[in-house]
Amino acid sequence: MKVKSQQDWWAGLMFIAIGLFFIVVAAGTPEFINKMVGSKLIPGYQMGSSVRMGPAYFPVVLGGILAVLGLLVLLDSIVEKGPDVAKFHFRPLIFIAISSLAFAYLLKPLGLALASIILVFISAYGGHEFKWKEVAIMSVVLVIFSIVVFVKGLSLPFPVCPSFVDVCPIR
Amino acid sequence: MALRRLLALLFVAAVSHNAAAQTWPTKPLRLVAPYAAGGPIDISARLLAAKLQESLGQPVVVENRPGAGGNIGVELIAKGPADGYNLVMSAIATLAINPSLYPSLPYDPLKDLRHVTLLVQVPNVLIVNNELPAKNVKELIALAKQRPGKLDFGSGSSGSTGHLAGEMFKMMTGTFMVHIPYKGSAPALADMMGGRIHLMFDNLASALPSIKSEKVRALATTTLKRSSFLPELPTLEEAGLKGFDMTTWWGVSVAAKTPQAVVERLSGDILKAMDAADFKERLRNMGSEPPAVRTPEQFTTFVASELKTHTELVKRSGAKAD
Amino acid sequence: MEGIFGNLAIGFTEVFKLQAITIAGMTMTLPFNILMCLIGVLLGTLIGVLPGIGPVATIAMLLPVTFNLAPIAALIMLAGIYYGAQYGGSTTAILVNLPGESSSVVTCLDGYQMARRGRAGPALATAAIGSFFAGCVATMVVAMFAPPLAEVALKFGPAEYFSLMVLGLVAAVVLAAGSLIKAIAMVILGLLLGLVGTDVNSGVLRFAFGISEMADGIGFVTVAMGMFGICEIIANLEQKEKREVFTSKVGSLMPTRDDFKRMVAPILRGTVLGSCLGILPGGGALLASFGAYTLEKKVSKNSHEFGKGAIEGVAAPEAANNAGAQTSFIPLLTLGIPSNAVMALMIGAMMIQGIAPGPQVMTERPQLFWGMIASMWVGNLMLVILNLPLIGMWIKLLTVPYRYLYPSILLFMAIGVFSISNQPFDCFLMAMFGLLGYVCVKLGCEPAPMILGFILGPLMEENLRRAMLLSRGDPWVFISPSKPISMGFLIASVLLLVIIALPALRKKREEVFVEEPKA
Repeated sequence: MKVKSQQDWWAGLMFIAIGLFFIVVAAGTPEFINKMVGSKLIPGYQMGSSVRMGPAYFPVVLGGILAVLGLLVLLDSIVEKGPDVAKFHFRPLIFIAISSLAFAYLLKPLGLALASIILVFISAYGGHEFKWKEVAIMSVVLVIFSIVVFVKGLSLPFPVCPSFVDVCPIR
Repeated sequence: MALRRLLALLFVAAVSHNAAAQTWPTKPLRLVAPYAAGGPIDISARLLAAKLQESLGQPVVVENRPGAGGNIGVELIAKGPADGYNLVMSAIATLAINPSLYPSLPYDPLKDLRHVTLLVQVPNVLIVNNELPAKNVKELIALAKQRPGKLDFGSGSSGSTGHLAGEMFKMMTGTFMVHIPYKGSAPALADMMGGRIHLMFDNLASALPSIKSEKVRALATTTLKRSSFLPELPTLEEAGLKGFDMTTWWGVSVAAKTPQAVVERLSGDILKAMDAADFKERLRNMGSEPPAVRTPEQFTTFVASELKTHTELVKRSGAKAD
Repeated sequence: MEGIFGNLAIGFTEVFKLQAITIAGMTMTLPFNILMCLIGVLLGTLIGVLPGIGPVATIAMLLPVTFNLAPIAALIMLAGIYYGAQYGGSTTAILVNLPGESSSVVTCLDGYQMARRGRAGPALATAAIGSFFAGCVATMVVAMFAPPLAEVALKFGPAEYFSLMVLGLVAAVVLAAGSLIKAIAMVILGLLLGLVGTDVNSGVLRFAFGISEMADGIGFVTVAMGMFGICEIIANLEQKEKREVFTSKVGSLMPTRDDFKRMVAPILRGTVLGSCLGILPGGGALLASFGAYTLEKKVSKNSHEFGKGAIEGVAAPEAANNAGAQTSFIPLLTLGIPSNAVMALMIGAMMIQGIAPGPQVMTERPQLFWGMIASMWVGNLMLVILNLPLIGMWIKLLTVPYRYLYPSILLFMAIGVFSISNQPFDCFLMAMFGLLGYVCVKLGCEPAPMILGFILGPLMEENLRRAMLLSRGDPWVFISPSKPISMGFLIASVLLLVIIALPALRKKREEVFVEEPKA
């Protein structure tokens, strides 16, 4: 059995996995697993009845439909020809993700100015070309723009200076 | 040079607590509104911040920290530095209802917080849709007894003051009505005007336009005294439910260990702002009458009694948020 | 009819009224309300363009400023911010694939593709023209039909909303260009993700895994920035060759004659749909934009171009969402009920000024009511005058090398998302959705249907369960003859489903026929 469409194969698997995940979290782990483990591994929410639906009803039904659709896509991947999964490029992925995470978690401790510079540098590094001078100028311009527009203009409560600087010249 | 000045300041602050309170505030204050921007609590926070900036001489920045019915924002301040620069808008939900509504709360409303001033107190109003054949509370109770389980009452969410007021009403009158929760009182009002639900307890500010335009019918207020906005409207107590007194309220709190001098200065300034004519007018336009509870001590006593009442109510109503 | 013109006269006089204003000690006579309108739409456009920052937060921050203004000036400015943000949101949707508002999601589909092909100018112009036309028409609708339309809105209960959303979901499937099954699966994935958070009907916290920040669910902005913004940046960066994202060969700034011919009918249809759906409190306006897109895709002769840069795919949703934005004032002005978060803020602003919103505003304060309506028209005019020349500037911006553009976009996205609740968790979620979007694109699944499912999911469930509660468990309530609106929508959904499925089935049958002789 050869998979004729890589894309559909993995897509189908993804849908099945996500569908089952929602079913299990919503309805709880089935009884036989609970018995093996000794306690309710995942408690789940109440199902209720179809006339008085509980919080688990909709997610379970939807998760079920999603899993079935995933199965259909999976079967389709065996039957019909389709494209392969294009190559994953990890470099931009990682750098962009890390730059936004770094910004978010460093904003309070380091202040808007430093956090923005960090974001710009890391994300620029994830691109094709990286010239120190260019990136430095760009980050300074962006920091000034952000301070003027977001902190002064829209009065967003962002600290501009790092938290270890007691009195900030720009508030 | 700057470092030496910094060290000198630290020394003085460390040596004398009172001195720090006298020079307080020396940097901007943070007023956390534990809700998304735009609700009545957020609006009154911004009103207050504008006024406090004038009297304290330092900027007061309103920060929105929505989530978990307000618990996230309150926890932030309760667990944060008790230096008087971090304030939170605490409300009936976060102080009196959520402790019993949620299975576990990350703060204790009486032990972890110091309550400074009660800002707003808004009565709730019992309103019914125009097609309901009940012109007063007595008729409503009779109707409810005739049709147990057939009347629907709406509320802004499970565990909201509207919901609990309805539960109290059911308890005191011995009737059975079905609770229909909505996301906020506006959609509930809309459904009531459309005749799909029969009654609800809504706060005065949000219900007043509909009452005045006769799209819904008001039967009573939930406070002990009549509201000056609707003086002809009887109170629920007058209609036979003795002791029925439920309001929606909110105020300002700080972390428990905040120095007494700072608390008193804050309380004084906030009360001064509340007494100012324009501020009073604005709060009044939100349906609030100036609360009788003024000092931090009175506020704390008030919170404790509200907590007790609502713990009982939540338990009886079976409402819970996970 | 004379009544209308009389009222509009009152309105326009109010808007253009000259007032003596004292600024910095100097007293001048200015048409102050016009000035407020201008400030409002400028500000609105700016925040609409900035990803992540929306009109709600901005209006909330400006409320204290409005206290010292006269009520009409305050409301004109706030309203200007609101629909200015719609215009600005369309700009970012077209230029960088970032939907500023939930109703701009659909504009991303074809608008961004047009921009990539050097047709950003015509796309932006179409959006501006369509929005202006729709705004004018919708303003007339508000002026003439506000009270009866409000009555119609009141007829929509949970059953009707649910059926409408079913129709909307079926329409969402049409949005996808690729595989039908995968599109449906993405819609369902979106529905499931929308269920994260506190369940309205039971108070139970679902799928939050103990993270209290998820108690109120995942925000639309977070998901949109992640799946549209971050995903797009990563996808652009992974091109092997250092190819510029936007072709430097930029075409003309204005739409061609052919473009103009093509956009007329979609704009008309979009306006009608938007005006109708905007009056529904809670979700009406955004259903309008993608309903309009779906309608166009099915009706148009050029439907094969949709998803690759069809001008109808920009004209119709833009007209619809602007019409919806205007008519969403109706429940506010006539009933005192807000149809979305921005209207709730307007109510707050009115109440603080001592004005109780509701039907009596029309009779007790005609200058306020009609002044607001007149200002909507003026605001739309200002916006189109503002935005058309700006197109040249936006085009210039696109010629900036991508390596400068994308860190800037990323920074503004991060700032915007962070400011939602001032903590890092939302940015973390945004990055996660970026990843999910990237994986989905690699697997040939499209993000747009998912986002629409995400918006509609919780609303659908809430209304379904509420309708069942009210009917005490009777499932036939949705198609009962006493609820003709609900029944109508459900029948339409079935019909639409058939219309969608038919070509796909026919194609499969054709393929079978083609395969047979070879076997």
